[in-house]
Amino acid sequence: MKRFKKHFLLLFLILLLAGLHITLSGCGKKEHEDTLTLRICNWEEYIDEGGWEEEETIDLENKDIIGKNSMLDDFIAWYEKTAHKKIKIEYSCLGTNEDLYNQLTLGDKFDLICPSEYMIMKLMAEEKLEPLSDDFLDETQEKNSYIRGVSPYIKEFTHNISINGESIDRYTAGYMWGNTGIVYNPKEVKKEEASSWKLLIDSKYKCRITMKDNVRDAYFAAMGIYKSTELQELAMRPYLESNLERAEQLLKEYPNRLQQEMNDTSRETMSAIEQLLQKNRTNFYSFETDNGKSDMVTGKVVANLQWSGDAVYSLDQAEEVGTILEYSVPYECSNLWFDGWVMLKDGIEGNKEKKDACEAFLNFMAQPDNVVRNMYYIGYTSVIAGGNDSTILDYADWCYGADEEDNKTVEYDVSSFFGREDAIITTTPDQLNRQLFAQYPPEDVLKRCTIMDYLDPETTKELNQMWINVRCFNPFS
Amino acid sequence: MYFSRKNLSIPYIIFLLAFVAAPMLVVLYYAFTNGEGQFTMTNFIGFFTSPNTIGTLLYSIMIALSVTVLCLLLAYPSAYLLARLHGHKKPILLMLFVLPMWINFTLRITALKEVLTTLEGNLAFHPFLNTVIGMTYDFLPFMILPLYTVLEKLDTSLMEAAADLGANPVQVFLKVTLPLSVPGILSGITMVFLPAMTNYVVLDMMYNSTYIMGSLISSYFSAYDWHNGSMISIVLLLIIFVLTIATKQFGDEANENRGTVL
Repeated sequence: MKRFKKHFLLLFLILLLAGLHITLSGCGKKEHEDTLTLRICNWEEYIDEGGWEEEETIDLENKDIIGKNSMLDDFIAWYEKTAHKKIKIEYSCLGTNEDLYNQLTLGDKFDLICPSEYMIMKLMAEEKLEPLSDDFLDETQEKNSYIRGVSPYIKEFTHNISINGESIDRYTAGYMWGNTGIVYNPKEVKKEEASSWKLLIDSKYKCRITMKDNVRDAYFAAMGIYKSTELQELAMRPYLESNLERAEQLLKEYPNRLQQEMNDTSRETMSAIEQLLQKNRTNFYSFETDNGKSDMVTGKVVANLQWSGDAVYSLDQAEEVGTILEYSVPYECSNLWFDGWVMLKDGIEGNKEKKDACEAFLNFMAQPDNVVRNMYYIGYTSVIAGGNDSTILDYADWCYGADEEDNKTVEYDVSSFFGREDAIITTTPDQLNRQLFAQYPPEDVLKRCTIMDYLDPETTKELNQMWINVRCFNPFS
Repeated sequence: MYFSRKNLSIPYIIFLLAFVAAPMLVVLYYAFTNGEGQFTMTNFIGFFTSPNTIGTLLYSIMIALSVTVLCLLLAYPSAYLLARLHGHKKPILLMLFVLPMWINFTLRITALKEVLTTLEGNLAFHPFLNTVIGMTYDFLPFMILPLYTVLEKLDTSLMEAAADLGANPVQVFLKVTLPLSVPGILSGITMVFLPAMTNYVVLDMMYNSTYIMGSLISSYFSAYDWHNGSMISIVLLLIIFVLTIATKQFGDEANENRGTVL
């Protein structure tokens, strides 16, 4: 017993010393009080880390863009030059939205984070977010690259999402966005087949299609199958209506109706979808989290449910090994997702200087050249269209525009995203089903995109349980 | 302050307290509480009344059993041959057996996936078989090494004596070698059986269509449901505990029997 005490004494001493160390180092920090520290948490490989080779230079018509230093270093230098303040960035990465949320509940402190839209809505509902300042949202100021550059389509879209009566665009500055669809191999699957979510459960392709191991994406796609005819009717109704006024009304209501239909979590729908997934689960090759892309490229599967950003990656990868893949957005509907920057109340703690620095960071990231660097590095599509600045449109043209030697070209209209009528890219016909289509969907696709709602904890629990029921091995059923 | 040899264990005790005992207490706390932090048995009852968890548990046990048996069948002859070898070939062969362990398992599984796809055409047609093959591939070294250690240390004079007294090679193996290698078999089983029930990462890497206990825990945890997830971990821990005690009992008995025989 006595010896035991001694051990504990030792342990206690060690802990005490460790504690002392922390307090001491805490005191030491006071010296550098003039340097502001921003704690930023972002997805892995979700910001330009610099170090490009000379030959990687993006040579647009009127300028060259290259990422020599990392975006963060460039920001630190830029902030010191423009705001005359020294700044330090503690940068960390998140694995999933759920991990980030768990980290926050466990007491980790960040100033600026970049979760997906549904997590932003959850955090907003829990009143954990610091609103963006009026100054940041002021379009008249030259320095506000974000609000001046954000795509009008995204602006309207985010403005229409509200939590507790407040629109989320008060709280978040968008970053990257995309939709969900189907990547398919045109040699095996016809384009018409891939234009419906029903392809996923087509027994003709038994064990040759992957599903996402993610309840929300799977639920969404299954909803598209379950409500296929209703959704088609919903989209067609305004055009069949003879009464013009009524037709206009229907057209206006369409986005909200679509959102309601796709986020239906009533008991009956949920159990119908559970049955649908349960019945077809052996039809899937796998429930993948990350393997879908490589399985697609190596030809193990012929189609998979995919996010547009990853679809571009798959298409690029496949091209390198000489396989042509295509991307389609089912006619029923598609999910628009985006990741957005939000400030946390817990991190900012009312510090005006910190908030200014965060907003300066967002504006810096929204400067057209930096948008292009990030897009080139990440491969996703930024929500920034550039406003009057044509750099980003030029970049899209640089990526997918037709060359002089291409003899067949088509005009591809991206005006609804860029918000300017001259936003038309001359490209090769295959791009209409490929990367350009995935990165900048045409207007009809944008129209049938809707978001996944933030669900209250009780429904989330039911939905998760449904997913476990689908995935579990149940010998009694 | 005198210095006893026991003090050498202090670093390990600290490690144990911080990274084993403390997390265990947290898991226990979550397993028996609900969202509001009140004590509850619902998670515990839920585990045994839900056909999903029981079904998955049975399925996992089936997989783990198959993996263990397959590992044993593959590992025993090779460990035996390896232990009986002499001369300069031995270190080379031993290295060949250990070599795969130096390669990261994600790499090995990715390679296996390609090999199996070439052989089967489509992996999804045989989920159970592929899971068993994948896990056997991953866990085989953990079965070979303890068996090898035991078999290598076997006193060959015992077998020679048995042969001398008229036992044919089969009898020598069944009556002498096999009983003497029971400790190796048991430690091999514990090293393979338990991870095979929970190691869903192997499945995830190969292609994710089978669902075992580990996947279930991960599903609960990624859905913020730490309570049910913790409860499953606790129940699995209990199973491990019971199994260890049972094998220990069995091992002791085997040792005792051997004592009386000798």
